[in-house]
Amino acid sequence: MLALLSSLGAATPWLLWCLPVALLPLALSVARRNALPSIAAVPEDPLSAGLRIVLTAAGMLAVGGLILALAGPYRAGERVTRTGIGAQVSMLIDRSGSMNETFAGRQPSGAEESKAAASRRILRDFVGERVHDQFAVTAFSTAPMLVVPMTDRHAAVRAAISAIDRPGLDYTNVARGLGMALSQFGPGVPGVSRALLLVSDGAAVIDPRIQAQLRAEFARVRPNLYWLFLRTKGSPSISDKPAGEDTPQAAPERHLDLFFKSLGVPYRAFEAEGAEAVASAVRQIEALERDPIPYTEERPRRDLTGWAYGAAALGLLLLVLAKLAEADLGRRPVQAAPAAERAPEPARDAAPRTAAA
Amino acid sequence: MRPVQPSAPGPLAQLPLAKNLRDRRFQALAAALLLAVLAIVLPPVPLTRSGVSVLAVVDITGSMNVRDYALDGRPASRLDTAKAALRRLIPELPCGSRLALALFTERRPFLLFTPIEVCAEFAPLDGAIAALDWRMAWEGDSRISAGLHRAVAMAGDLDADLLFLSDGQETPPLPASGLPPFEGKPGAVRGLIVGAGGYALSPIPKYNDRGRETGFYAETDVQQENRFGPPPADAEAREGYNPRNAPFGGAAAKGEEHLSSVREAHLKALAAQTGLAYAHLDGPDALRAPLLAAATPRPLPGRLDLRPFLGAAALALVLAVFLAGAFSARAASFTPSRMS
Repeated sequence: MLALLSSLGAATPWLLWCLPVALLPLALSVARRNALPSIAAVPEDPLSAGLRIVLTAAGMLAVGGLILALAGPYRAGERVTRTGIGAQVSMLIDRSGSMNETFAGRQPSGAEESKAAASRRILRDFVGERVHDQFAVTAFSTAPMLVVPMTDRHAAVRAAISAIDRPGLDYTNVARGLGMALSQFGPGVPGVSRALLLVSDGAAVIDPRIQAQLRAEFARVRPNLYWLFLRTKGSPSISDKPAGEDTPQAAPERHLDLFFKSLGVPYRAFEAEGAEAVASAVRQIEALERDPIPYTEERPRRDLTGWAYGAAALGLLLLVLAKLAEADLGRRPVQAAPAAERAPEPARDAAPRTAAA
Repeated sequence: MRPVQPSAPGPLAQLPLAKNLRDRRFQALAAALLLAVLAIVLPPVPLTRSGVSVLAVVDITGSMNVRDYALDGRPASRLDTAKAALRRLIPELPCGSRLALALFTERRPFLLFTPIEVCAEFAPLDGAIAALDWRMAWEGDSRISAGLHRAVAMAGDLDADLLFLSDGQETPPLPASGLPPFEGKPGAVRGLIVGAGGYALSPIPKYNDRGRETGFYAETDVQQENRFGPPPADAEAREGYNPRNAPFGGAAAKGEEHLSSVREAHLKALAAQTGLAYAHLDGPDALRAPLLAAATPRPLPGRLDLRPFLGAAALALVLAVFLAGAFSARAASFTPSRMS
């Protein structure tokens, strides 16, 4: 009962201060007033007294109901936590300038699609495929940029993905981007599947000092790591060993892959050399990330204004009927007087008594 | 009309129905009942409201870190104040309005997301604005005019109006030739330039490569004069001027570029060049009115709830009926009723 009361509210609560006006019917009546030589001339009549109470209540109901309706009463909405199938996905998207080239490493012309445009198209479909997925979007080039925090509002996430084929920036500084993408998971709920999806077309050397920090962060958050490597044709693959010295500077992609493998978190790399390969990689990721996830469902608040108007209408209906059935003692023909004296028995005839009272 | 017939003594027949129907108070009550019933059954009326579609571009360059505002009694940077202003703006926009967010540094805006609806997507929008940070900057330059020109093009591309928040401090300073030409059509994209910062000069905080504050910029830390391009007209009068070896004069440039105030004259010139409006950011609450005045109103489907009007009219009628009883002339010479 208390919970029900606390969930009630009004859209314009200050109007409720006018509610004492609803006491007005206690002092005033809608009925016609008639002159009587003496109040004692009217016999005491329980039915009339009862009707008077009913009509006073009806008046209070009408006035109070209308004031309440104007205040806009509602029962507050609530958040219900349920469990669905989905995952928390933190997307880390490379916005360096090379993402605007095609998979063949050229400026897109005609029907050709840049890497950014292809990933935009495919990732947009990925977001919203499953209603309970939560997404965060981080972009990175020289510096990481938090684009959208972890949210279940897919329209915002799709708007962020729509922006990724705009002209990119300078460099690929993946280390700081990874740090920010990991921080997007927040404290989180235990048992939720977490996935970090890195979309990039290149890699960079990760400073050994930052490597240690990243390792600690990965060990704490423990996300499933997916690297969608958009490989430009002719450029080295993740697994290619360089001809000369095998240093991170000579083969950053390979060494980033090795670093990821050494993290001890579930990791898969997808090397995509075209839009179809990207699409199939995204489908695989989607299939892998199938775990229960708690999500909150908002129950909208319920408008109770209609009920208040209904109560007011009921009160008004009683008043209208009473006015319609009102007798006019003042202009009553003399010969009708005996009829009025038998009044106490029939119910409808009692209304005139109320009016007289 | 004779309402009561002695030959028909039934209780209903005795009622002066016709007189009751003519009674003003009965009519008023019946009208109130009708209004209350209408309030229950009438659906809201569809109508068109106006909202806005805005691309907000926030300058995140170094001079936006100058703390010359106060938020909650504490010094606040221009960027923090601009963020607070944007976050307070969102709930004040009519639902259905759309907002896109971009960063500005170097010489161009960087779009974070295309326009999203401000009510349903409030949480991610608010979170994204709260997360704006000068550390997102990819380069240190602050070529405001170039950035603004591209931001205007971007807003046109997104079919949105522009809200450009900046302090107007160009780094490096503009060359002597003045503003770069604007290639777009002035006024084709509407919008507002918001000048952030105080009118007095304040020092600019300096950060090291790990993002920690290490002091303030000194005069020799920053470029005080742009010495690219042709020298200014007064260069010949400068000491040590030599047309070939020292076309800008012999002395190192001195100036106040290491200090910052809102460069209103520059921003107003840019606004005039691009056909935008200008407003100064006085505090975190000052954004709504100038933005709505400058932005194109866009039709949004809205609904008008008629119930408050119907309900108020019904209430007025009922109260009038009750009060009329008290003040009616016939009531004057009366036996007191048992009720009162």
